[in-house]
Amino acid sequence: MSVLDDLVAGAIEDQRAREAKTPLETLQRQVADSARQPLDARRWLRKADSIPVIAEIKRASPSKGHLSDIPDPAALARQYERGGASAISVLTEGRRFLGSLDDLDAVRAAVDIPVLRKDFIVTDYQIWEARAHGADLILLIVAALDDDRLRHLLDLTRQLGMTALVETHTREEIARAVAAGADVIGINARNLKDLRVDVNKYAELADDMPADVIRVAESGVFGAVEVEDYGRAGADAVLVGEGVATADDHELAVNRLVKAGKRVKASESTPLSEHEGPYFGQFGGRYVPEALITALDELERVYNEAKADPEFHKEFARLNKQYVGRESPLTEAPRFAEKIAEKTGIHPRVFLKREDLNHTGAHKINNALGQALLVKRMGKTRVIAETGAGQHGVATATVCAMLGLKCRIYMGQIDARRQALNVARMRMLGAEVVEVTLGDRILKDAINEALRDWVTNVKDTHYLLGTVAGPHPFPSMVRDFQKIIGEEAKRQLQDWYGIDHPDAICACVGGGSNAIGIMNAFLDDDRVNLYGYEAGGNGPESGRHAIRFAPGTGELGMFQGAKSYLLENAEGQTLDTYSISAGLDYASVGPEHAWLKEIGRVNYGWATDEEAMNAFRDLSQSEGIIPAIESSHAVAGAYKAAADLKAKGYTEPVMIINISGRGDKDMATAGKWFGYLTDDQAKALEVTGAHGNAVA
Amino acid sequence: MTNETTTPSGQPLGISHRPSPTEAMFDRFRAENKPAFIGYLPYGFPDPDVSLDALRTMVEHGVDAVEIGLPYSDPVMDGPVIQAASQIALNNGESINGVFRAVETVANAGGVPLIMSYWNLIYHYGVERFARDFENAGGAGLITPDLIPDEAGEWIEASDRHGLDRIFLVSPDSSDDRLEIVAKNARGFVYAASRMGVTGERDTISASPERLVERTRKAGAKNVCVGIGVSTPEQGAKVGAYADGVIVGSALVHTLLADDDKTPKDRAEGLRDLAAKAEALADGIHRAR
Repeated sequence: MSVLDDLVAGAIEDQRAREAKTPLETLQRQVADSARQPLDARRWLRKADSIPVIAEIKRASPSKGHLSDIPDPAALARQYERGGASAISVLTEGRRFLGSLDDLDAVRAAVDIPVLRKDFIVTDYQIWEARAHGADLILLIVAALDDDRLRHLLDLTRQLGMTALVETHTREEIARAVAAGADVIGINARNLKDLRVDVNKYAELADDMPADVIRVAESGVFGAVEVEDYGRAGADAVLVGEGVATADDHELAVNRLVKAGKRVKASESTPLSEHEGPYFGQFGGRYVPEALITALDELERVYNEAKADPEFHKEFARLNKQYVGRESPLTEAPRFAEKIAEKTGIHPRVFLKREDLNHTGAHKINNALGQALLVKRMGKTRVIAETGAGQHGVATATVCAMLGLKCRIYMGQIDARRQALNVARMRMLGAEVVEVTLGDRILKDAINEALRDWVTNVKDTHYLLGTVAGPHPFPSMVRDFQKIIGEEAKRQLQDWYGIDHPDAICACVGGGSNAIGIMNAFLDDDRVNLYGYEAGGNGPESGRHAIRFAPGTGELGMFQGAKSYLLENAEGQTLDTYSISAGLDYASVGPEHAWLKEIGRVNYGWATDEEAMNAFRDLSQSEGIIPAIESSHAVAGAYKAAADLKAKGYTEPVMIINISGRGDKDMATAGKWFGYLTDDQAKALEVTGAHGNAVA
Repeated sequence: MTNETTTPSGQPLGISHRPSPTEAMFDRFRAENKPAFIGYLPYGFPDPDVSLDALRTMVEHGVDAVEIGLPYSDPVMDGPVIQAASQIALNNGESINGVFRAVETVANAGGVPLIMSYWNLIYHYGVERFARDFENAGGAGLITPDLIPDEAGEWIEASDRHGLDRIFLVSPDSSDDRLEIVAKNARGFVYAASRMGVTGERDTISASPERLVERTRKAGAKNVCVGIGVSTPEQGAKVGAYADGVIVGSALVHTLLADDDKTPKDRAEGLRDLAAKAEALADGIHRAR
């Protein structure tokens, strides 16, 4: 005899004892006399903006033994309700679960949300009994019933105005439940070998259910982690017992689950282009010291106010036009397109989005300007920023000079040496430049030091982060300031060239701000293939690169405020990165990119130093446009994207490459790489420290 | 289904109602009307073996609970002294696997073992796996300087399953709402930062921590300890007058560093200086009231 058979037999025996005292007719009379109509539980169990939680009153179970005394089930139910539960499940089985109909009565009287009678229900009597005791929902276990019996009990449940939660374990049981007309199906996805809940198994089981069936994840929900997993796997609602029944603070425990469900739903119900943090799928968040939360909250609040204020947009647009020089052109590149044709055999039309023509020579000014206007709004007087190669530092120093803000730029000592001219440029603009001598003395160390400054001086200081990484609200906010790139490109393609939409977009990805900027306007247009290229350095096998997305490179982790992909060693310590382009040389990547990779919307690849430098020369010599080495990774990527488009059947695709910055700053590196300089000239550059690379 | 108490994956285990060892310590001290002395030292500094000696030394010379730091490549809440010590530990082969030996060492010496770690190290090790290993080693609780309760779902669950304390931080400009969120989710005690900023020794302690301790208690926290910037017995006595515990970090770490603040001191000399510093601080702190 199985455990289930045993439980069912016991339940029937107990029922007979009750029936002897209260015959079925008496129950039926009670039901007829009762004024109360059951609640339509289906309306509680599927919500557009949340994953309803069915919280269970559970004292014990055969698998776990005693869990909790629960002397006052009504009080517990009220705590669940206050925590945001959508329904209360009451175990009425007395032998192994130590429940009773008294519990059901007490809970019914205490709450206004649907109440589930959970028992081993196999007879009509038990269903009448549930109704007489005020249940809105009952549990039917497919494994305990044959098809006819299941159908009959389902029909009776409906006749009495109640809803049945039909529990299943296998694909076959689900098919039986659906055939019998079940419209709320619980899936128990526990692997019976190790009791582990297998979300993949759940997703597989839930996969081909009719759309109008409400799916309840029934087992192994302990906390927020499982709710998120089930939510992503398609569960409409979850049932949780022990995780809330044995918690110290029941209300808080339920509330954590409700919040987790809302997070998942918020992320699923929004168009891709309109996602707001803190989470992009499972990525993002605020992994920062508590000391920064007040400042981040303030920034979020002020930014939301600004977003809703037409005056802010007017001022931003005015400065974009009159100061930055927007819009930046969309330039057709027919001679470069020819080069792609030679290499791939297809004949694309190629357009370049010219962020290199912005004031300060890169897209970085878009974000620096937007945030600096927020600094004014917040009434702060001091700005700090990090910079790798100097492009973001220069943009920040520039807007601070324009708006009269005190400015300090943190730069790793190695970067500061490589980019001595940019250091001078920032100082010329009135900024203080601090060379960071800690750690590896590169970009990430500059960010660490900027964060330490911010923690200390947060009252009057704003941290003007340069990319779509870091804690919320930076990834969404920086994206918003950069998305003008794609919006312009889309319009220009239509107005200037009469082309409705591009077939492909190529961008380089360091932290990812220029890539998000050009891609955002196209995220919800499936006709547009999106390609992001990371810095391949000497290639993924060399260990000297900044590729976070390729297999065997980045792993999930938290870095500098966000959960994303991260280059780390076996201990979780951050790895050194390498790229010829300092602007792409970063161990992690913006959380929105991690999410776009996970959902398969953007194809991420990489370009090695060599590929990028060849593309740098190709574009310079075919079009007379010198891209930054960072942007050259996007140009190199265009060859790869074209090959992919060819494989997809395109013959004359329209491609846009984002030229995120100009390459003047990279002349020393290029001169050396291609041997354009005599030894004496190279040495002279070496001495002045004008050596460099830089932007993303 | 069998009557499992642990599973390989840990799911879905029940909530452990093991009493909090940290709270037991505070109850003991409260009965004596004394604050507890919590000392910080990174595991693996200056190297794994000496760090075990150093941790034992601390407990033997008056430290009640030890905050064992896990060295991290990017410690954004730490000032120069702890950064230097962490770097030395990493260079000398520190590994998270070894930290459980340090936990045992502290427990065996009679101290309450706490770990302080940046979140990525725990996440990478595996939250559930860490909780299990930490509990098995006799650990009491985890201090998370860059994990706020809002992001701590997985840790809250794992710590509940294994009966471990969750120590979150608050800072002087935390709003009352934030204090409540932290107090509600914390277990063991709340770590109040004495000032805005990173770890490091200071000549003076401002008045703000007293106000912060008061506000944190009002928000629902039972035990509130003050750290960051406490470096002398006098400061310890001042803070210990109102806080349930006094946390000292950089000043203890400093005793093991040579004059250049970048390399470790001779081992015997370092341990001697550490013992003396711990004793002096313990004296100041334990006689605070």
